[in-house]
Amino acid sequence: MTTATTLKSADVSSNQGDHRGSWLPTWGMITTRFMELRRRRGLLIAMTAVVVGVPTIFLVIRLIAHAVDPKVYAPAGGYDIFTNMTSGVMFIFGFIMAATLGCTAGSVDLTEGMFRHLVVTGRSRVALYFARIPAGLAIITSIVAVGFTIVCVVCCVAAPRTLNYDGVKMPAGLSSAAFDTYAEGHASAVICNFNYNGNGNMNVPCEYDRATHMGKIGVPKNAPGVTMPSKQQIRIEAVAVAKQNYVEYSKEFLSPSNTLMIRTGLWLELEAAIGFIVGLGLGSLLGQRTVSVIIMLVYEVILTPLLAQAHIAHLINVQRGMVGLATAHLEPSALPPVFGGNGPQAASNLIPESRPVAVVVIVAWIVVWTALGARRMATRDA
Amino acid sequence: MCRAVVREAFRHIDAFMSTTTLDDAAKIGASDSQWAVETHGLTKRFGDNIAVNGVELLVPRGCAFGYLGPNGAGKTTLIRVLLGLTHADAGTMSLLGYSVPKHRDRALARVGAIVDEPRFHGHLTGRQNLQILAAAREPAAKGRIESSLDRVGMLSRADVKVTKYSMGMRQRLGVAACLLGDPQLLILDEPMNGLDPAGMHEMRDMILSLVGEGRTVVLSSHLLDEVERTCDAVAIVDRGNIIRQGPISELLSGADVVVQIDCSTPDGVSSLLKGMNVDVRVEVHGGDVTVTMPTGTTRDAIAEINRRLVEGGTSVYRLQPVQVSLESWFLEVTSRLGAPE
Repeated sequence: MTTATTLKSADVSSNQGDHRGSWLPTWGMITTRFMELRRRRGLLIAMTAVVVGVPTIFLVIRLIAHAVDPKVYAPAGGYDIFTNMTSGVMFIFGFIMAATLGCTAGSVDLTEGMFRHLVVTGRSRVALYFARIPAGLAIITSIVAVGFTIVCVVCCVAAPRTLNYDGVKMPAGLSSAAFDTYAEGHASAVICNFNYNGNGNMNVPCEYDRATHMGKIGVPKNAPGVTMPSKQQIRIEAVAVAKQNYVEYSKEFLSPSNTLMIRTGLWLELEAAIGFIVGLGLGSLLGQRTVSVIIMLVYEVILTPLLAQAHIAHLINVQRGMVGLATAHLEPSALPPVFGGNGPQAASNLIPESRPVAVVVIVAWIVVWTALGARRMATRDA
Repeated sequence: MCRAVVREAFRHIDAFMSTTTLDDAAKIGASDSQWAVETHGLTKRFGDNIAVNGVELLVPRGCAFGYLGPNGAGKTTLIRVLLGLTHADAGTMSLLGYSVPKHRDRALARVGAIVDEPRFHGHLTGRQNLQILAAAREPAAKGRIESSLDRVGMLSRADVKVTKYSMGMRQRLGVAACLLGDPQLLILDEPMNGLDPAGMHEMRDMILSLVGEGRTVVLSSHLLDEVERTCDAVAIVDRGNIIRQGPISELLSGADVVVQIDCSTPDGVSSLLKGMNVDVRVEVHGGDVTVTMPTGTTRDAIAEINRRLVEGGTSVYRLQPVQVSLESWFLEVTSRLGAPE
């Protein structure tokens, strides 16, 4: 009888601060869930290898190559490398790895038999689900941040010292007037190598210089009748060509700006967070990791690139509802468009979508998949 | 003392059922409820198959309670319904006086359970798995990890990954997980599975010590001998129905009275016992005679058998009432039910 009384007393005292019916997870639940995911060594190694290792190896090879022969191999970093690495590699790989982590976090309790232990604690099943979100996000955003930081550092530190515009090595960041002045002083390089849109009265002859592999002012041997304009005319032509090229030139930098790096970093983290949350919901819904990961891979690698560019009149609103398309429309404008297309954003083949609509689509995907995953977890047999 | 409490509790079942409803019990609160587990008309179906069929179960507090039944009888399903691992199709239930699933969180706060084979995250150590489970319980649960591991004898292996655990070690870890919540009620589904004889002995001692602390242990097992040694009361379930429940001693007292006789003329026993006041069934196997009489037969009938044999000229070398075991009683009860009609 004495023992029974002791148990009742313990019952009252030890239940203080116990809100296990609440749908909000405790800090302890989040940290232990973080620990559980972090100790999945194989998964963590794979994620790190893809998100951090691939860009790092690529940049290290470029660093070594440039150090060995700077004349043949361009500097490892720079603006172009940054934009291509982030939009071409880290965007896709980050999403895939985040989705893999999400599918794992959403299904392993079930497949490994821990789910029923957790349910028997009396803790709200929704709280059990929600504890995974901050835990998983802490992991995937950290890994993406590490990979992105390495790319940023190399692209800034190992950036080229001169700009290579249309094959011409020239200073970066010139104003329009300074660009014109540069053109007057380097008329041969500007007239014979910069893009020319055909407007104006261009009549300066150019020939190919075998030594520099570039164009230069001169009368080609197969056109002996062409006359050489005066120096004044050449300078006028050079400035005219420069004015045609300034818009494109002004988008070329030696290294990414701080603003671009911050925007790109946030964009990559957003993409990874979406991948994790959608993967978590899908993993919880299906209760199987492998199937969930395959579905996410097919969606991101095959379906999204296809449907983001194919204008299907009857499905256009469905296509606009794809989260991949929405995140592509939030991409910093300085980056090349994701899911194909050449050149800047303006030349993108993506289905058009306004930024507010893109934001709504992203929020809807996060809310819907979280609700689906949590509901499935709350109602499934353990 | 515990067995006496159980007997007393079951004596009050009829009175309780006629005067108290489940809602009343829920209002009373956990500490004052007489029953650790209480179900009324609990039903669970899987398609056309009724796994749990209108179960009326009453488990008194502070005892070891055995839940027995053949394979597929619905034992694990009932436990899963009680713990909220799956939903019931009909009926009401309460744990420690709290109505479930309405007050599931409060009820399970003081319940520990192992259902089926205990499985954990294999890539984590035993201690880390317990940390995850403790975090899902009340804040004080974290401080019970060491003592729980110590109690089940797993402290020295607590930092080994679970993938390297044997089945028996995982069973112990499962019990340690149950103890994290300082449970008033433990529900153990086949806890002896995978344990060697020494491990079973330790598990039995641990269950008894838990009961000795005032906790209630509900034990589902196929090992009837272990249940008989460990439990104060049992319920027999078959095809989703509870067919008997109560203190073991009272249930066994309701079994047939069996007497083994070693005598000079085994074949003549049957004729000598004709005309007795009670129905007797005589079986002869070699030189051994077994006489079976109905439940409630008094000791005088055994003396009457002896008198008739001696007066009939038969030398009686040994006449021994057979103590009915839980196993033989269980087989008797379930085989009766299983017989074709």
